[in-house]
Order: sequence, then structure tokens, then C-alpha cells
Amino acid sequence: MTTVTRRILTAAAAATALSLVSIFSGAVRAADAPRPAPSAEDQICLSCHGQEGMSKTFGKNDSVSLHVDGQAFAGSVHGPLGCAACHTEVDLANHPGAGKSFDSARAFSIAKAGVCSPCHEDKAKLFEGSVHAGVLRTGNLAAPVCTDCHGAHAVVRKAPVANDVACRKCHGAIFDAYLQSPHGKAYGKPGPVKAPICADCHRAHDVSPASSGTGLRDACLGCHTGAVEAHQKWLPNTKLHLQVVSCPACHAPTSQKSVDLRLYDPVAKRDVTAKDEQTRLDGPTVANGGKALDSKALWDLMRGVDRAGAPGRMTLVGRLEVRSGAEAHQLTDKSKAIRDCVVCHRKGADPFKNVTISIVGPDGRPIRYEAKQDVLHGPTSVESLSGFYAIGGTRIGILDVVLALVLLAGVSVPVAHLVLRRLLRKKQAAEQHAGSEGE
Amino acid sequence: MQKLYVHPLPVRIWHWTNALGFVMLILSGLQIRYSDAVQLMSFASAVQMHNVLGGVLILNYFVWLLFYLFTDKIRVYHPELNPAKHFRGSLRQLWYYGYGIFKGQPNPHHVSVYRKFNPLQSMTYQIVMILLVPIQFYTGVLLWDVNRFAASIQLFGGVRVVDTVHVVLFIFFIGFIFIHPYLASLGHTNLAHFKAMVTGYEEVEDEPGPKQPR
Repeated sequence: MTTVTRRILTAAAAATALSLVSIFSGAVRAADAPRPAPSAEDQICLSCHGQEGMSKTFGKNDSVSLHVDGQAFAGSVHGPLGCAACHTEVDLANHPGAGKSFDSARAFSIAKAGVCSPCHEDKAKLFEGSVHAGVLRTGNLAAPVCTDCHGAHAVVRKAPVANDVACRKCHGAIFDAYLQSPHGKAYGKPGPVKAPICADCHRAHDVSPASSGTGLRDACLGCHTGAVEAHQKWLPNTKLHLQVVSCPACHAPTSQKSVDLRLYDPVAKRDVTAKDEQTRLDGPTVANGGKALDSKALWDLMRGVDRAGAPGRMTLVGRLEVRSGAEAHQLTDKSKAIRDCVVCHRKGADPFKNVTISIVGPDGRPIRYEAKQDVLHGPTSVESLSGFYAIGGTRIGILDVVLALVLLAGVSVPVAHLVLRRLLRKKQAAEQHAGSEGE
Repeated sequence: MQKLYVHPLPVRIWHWTNALGFVMLILSGLQIRYSDAVQLMSFASAVQMHNVLGGVLILNYFVWLLFYLFTDKIRVYHPELNPAKHFRGSLRQLWYYGYGIFKGQPNPHHVSVYRKFNPLQSMTYQIVMILLVPIQFYTGVLLWDVNRFAASIQLFGGVRVVDTVHVVLFIFFIGFIFIHPYLASLGHTNLAHFKAMVTGYEEVEDEPGPKQPR
């Protein structure tokens, strides 16, 4: 057993014993409990790191604070473990050594956050599958790591306020919209049901891109358990609607809507990723002069994908979404939600004016390619867009022309036939009459 | 004029239910597809009406199918088993509607109990009733519950393919609903065939008696 492991176990046992004593004695109320003090070993570290203003500089205006609030650390969930439990690489004899060099303070912080993984393996694994980890892998260091949400030293187990702040750092507009929504207004207030905050819907560690999969819909339905039945009372093809229409499309009525057509591999049963198809998607976009894809270009694209995408036929899976994350959080009371079918099921409906074709990017977020409206209305859509159709909203224009011609023929042919028949009969009768008079 | 009983009661019930149902299906279908231009009823009501009427007409279809399958009246659809003769008869009928009728020529078809349809009618109705109507019902059922019938829809080629087939046939039936009553008005009086479909009895001219030897 290593020294560190022994120290962790000893500290954990001490913390457990202390907790049990507190619970069973009932004599010490939490509010009155003395604040834990850093251990003697930690005091050695704090003799330097407890000094305000201690920092490490990486370049001009780029530094990271090395100051640790000893009291806050001692009171944190990691307090009983001590400094050395995480900073295993520190050798007091040579500290501070040259150590590994980093390009930036952020790179340093991200690397340091890696120490969480050995103990929190399950959470680390979830995080690795998240969009945040995906963004990090692409080299974007703005994505959050453990310490951004839980803190570096004053580590909290679950702190909604800390989570708010963490998410808000990058998703400020979205969080502001959330605060105005019924969820945001009800959050933290007493009531029969706890209102959700970011991590309740988007999950804490395995955060997935908002526009992928069914996670967010499931999150809505997880709390609103009667929602499916309530929709079934008035909404035909309820399950289909819940699959292809994102909840905010109706429940954020002022939001701008759009149609996203995601390239899907039905054989592998997964969305097509940039690794699979990006070059083929880039081709027609570039060939189209960088303009939005029209129905012909999309048809060519799908034919190309089908040929190259053997053995399975690639399809486009359509979904009606709101255009931005902030709008997705502008939820209103359900009495104000859109219930008028004609908002979507009519020609020229707003949601079908904005169309994108997308694939899953390297970080898990969609890469969207702009497409023209006619990809939804052209005759080639029967083949290129066989899996997506919204009554009225995406109807094929040429069929409207055929219907108009049939209506015209349906009225004019019988009328013309009737008129012609009457006229010719009269003429024949007149000729017969003249003939009989002649005899 | 003699009266021939050519439209048995089950056929008349099927026919008028079908006629009324098709008109209402077309109206509700127009409302569903063209809600931006048609204001006959709300979209939701139109969908509900379309679904219910579709179910009723599917059941009604079996009235027609079972009646003809289990009675000898099925002969009215194929009194002539020779396809060449049947086809020639159809062309003759087409020629009559397109030319002869204007010249005052007699209708080449003479109604009898087992020949109530002219060859053109017989051929058209068989295509409509054995092919087009079932396809329309089938695609309608698939669109009624897209999730439940997802596998069949996939087999068909996707929901847009199913919908396009349904709409193309919808357009065909709109044309049919205009042309059919007009052709039905070409009896010996304008209302003769309509009356026959109500009473079951078609009025036909007496067969000329055997020629007397001079």
C-alpha cells in the first residue's frame, strides 16, 4: 500500500468516524460545528500556497492563481484527504521543480484537473463521452473540465449555484433565457416538484449536444410524465411529432424554427459523422459555388452518398428545431404553447424557410450546411428526402399544378362535352327537320 | 322500356356510402393539404374526419368485395373473357363518347343483367377497385399511424414516397368524381342511371322482336 493510499484511507476512516459520531450524538448542530482546520501536513503546503496573490505566469496577462484558501479546502469534501492525495507528483525536496511546461494557464488547469480521474473513474468515463470532452479533443480549451464546475480546492459535491456559474460562463445568453422561463422562475422555490436547472436536463458529466439523440426529449418527459397522454388527446401521430419536433418548437412559441436534415446511416443505425462523409458533403457545397444546396445539388449529393456509402443506403432524417440554444430555453407556460397545427402544416410555414443538412462533427456537435427551401418542395425530394414529410408544409409543388389541371379538366371536359353534344344535336335536328320538309 | 334489376341492395349501399365518403374524404383531404387556401373546417377536424371516413370506407370496401366474391354477380366485371374482344369493346365505347355521341349514334353497349357495365366501364372499375382503391387505403392507413407502420413505410421507400402515392391517387379520384357523374348522366335520360342506382332497376329499351318473314 502506498503512502498516499494509506493517507487517503486513514483520512476517509477519520471522516466517517466523525460523521457517525455527529449523527448519533445529535449534540452538535451543523451550524454550530467548528470549522475543520487543515491538517499539520497540509499546513506545510499552505505556508506558501495560503499566501494571497501567489500565482504562476505563463505569458503576458496569462497566469493562474496558486493560492489556496486553507479553511475552504479543509471544509471541502476533499479536506480529509489532504493536499498530497491529489498532488502526488509533488516532491517537497525539489518543490517547486521545473515540472512539465504548459503553453497557457488554461492548459495547465486542464492538465491538473486530470488528477480527478483515478478516484472518480465513473464520472471521468461519462465526461469522456460528453460534448465538452469532444470540444477539448478538437483543441478548444474553453470547454469545461472537473474543476470549472466543482472548484479546484473548495470542492463541492453538488452545488447548483456553482453549476449555474460554470454553465453561465460560456452559455450566458442561454442561462438568461432559462432564468425567464417557468423552470428558471420556479428553481429553488418550494413546490410539489423541484424545478430543473442545467444539469437536470443536459446531465452533469455526459453532456450531449442539444440537437442530437433523444436525451433532451426524454429529460422533458422524465418530469412531465403525463405529457405523452396529454398530447395524444389532441395531437394525431403523437409519437411521431415527439420524435421529429423538438419540445421548444411549440413550447417556446416565439422562437424561430428551422428544419435540420441529419444524414443517417440506417445500417449502422447512427448519424453520419464528419469522419464518414464530410468530404462528400463539402464537394457539392463547393461545387454549388459555396451557396446553399438546392434540390438538384441535394439529389446529386444523396446519389453520391448512396453509391459510395455501400452497403447501406444513407438517408436524411428530418427534425424541426429552434434556431438557437437561447430560444430553446424561452419556454413559456403550457397554456401559451403552440397548438395550432396550421403553424407548420401549411405552405410557406416559417419552420420550413430555414433548412440545413447536417452531419455530426468531430466534437459531437452538428456541422450544418445551409440548404434552399426547394429541397423540401422539389420533385426530386421524393427520392433524396424520402424519410421526411410534413403535410402541407413540405408539399411538392408540381403536384399542386397537376391538381389544378385535373380540377380544370374535371369541370371543363364535361361542360365542353355537354355543350358540344347539345349544339350538334340541335344542328342534326335542324337538318333532319329541313330534310323532312324537303320531302 | 323494360326494367332490369341490375344493382342489388348491397351494391347500392356500398355505392352511395362510397360516393358520399369519397366526396367528404376529398374535401377533408383538400383542407388538410391546402390549409393555407381552404377554410372549410379546422385542420384538426379535417384530420379527424379524414381518419374516421377512411376507416368507414375500408369497411365499406369489404361490402363490395365480399358481395362480388361470393355471388355470381362477379360476372358483370368480366362478361367477356377474351381480352382482345374486351379491349376492342373498350375502344368502341371510347369512340362513341368521343365521336358517335355527337353524331347521334346509338350507344354500342346494351345493358343486361350480367352486362351492366360497358367494356370501358368494366375495365376502368376493375383497375380502380382492385388496384387504385386498395393502394389508396393502404397508403392512408400507413400515414394514419406512421410510427406503428414504420417498417411498411420503410419498405415502401419512406414516408414521402407513401404520401406522394396517396396524393397522386387523391388527385386521380378528384378527377374521377367529376367525370363519373357526367358519364352517368348519359343514359336515355339524364337521371336514368342515377335513378337506377337508387331503385336497383335500370330501364332498357325493349329488344326488337324476331323479324317477320316477308
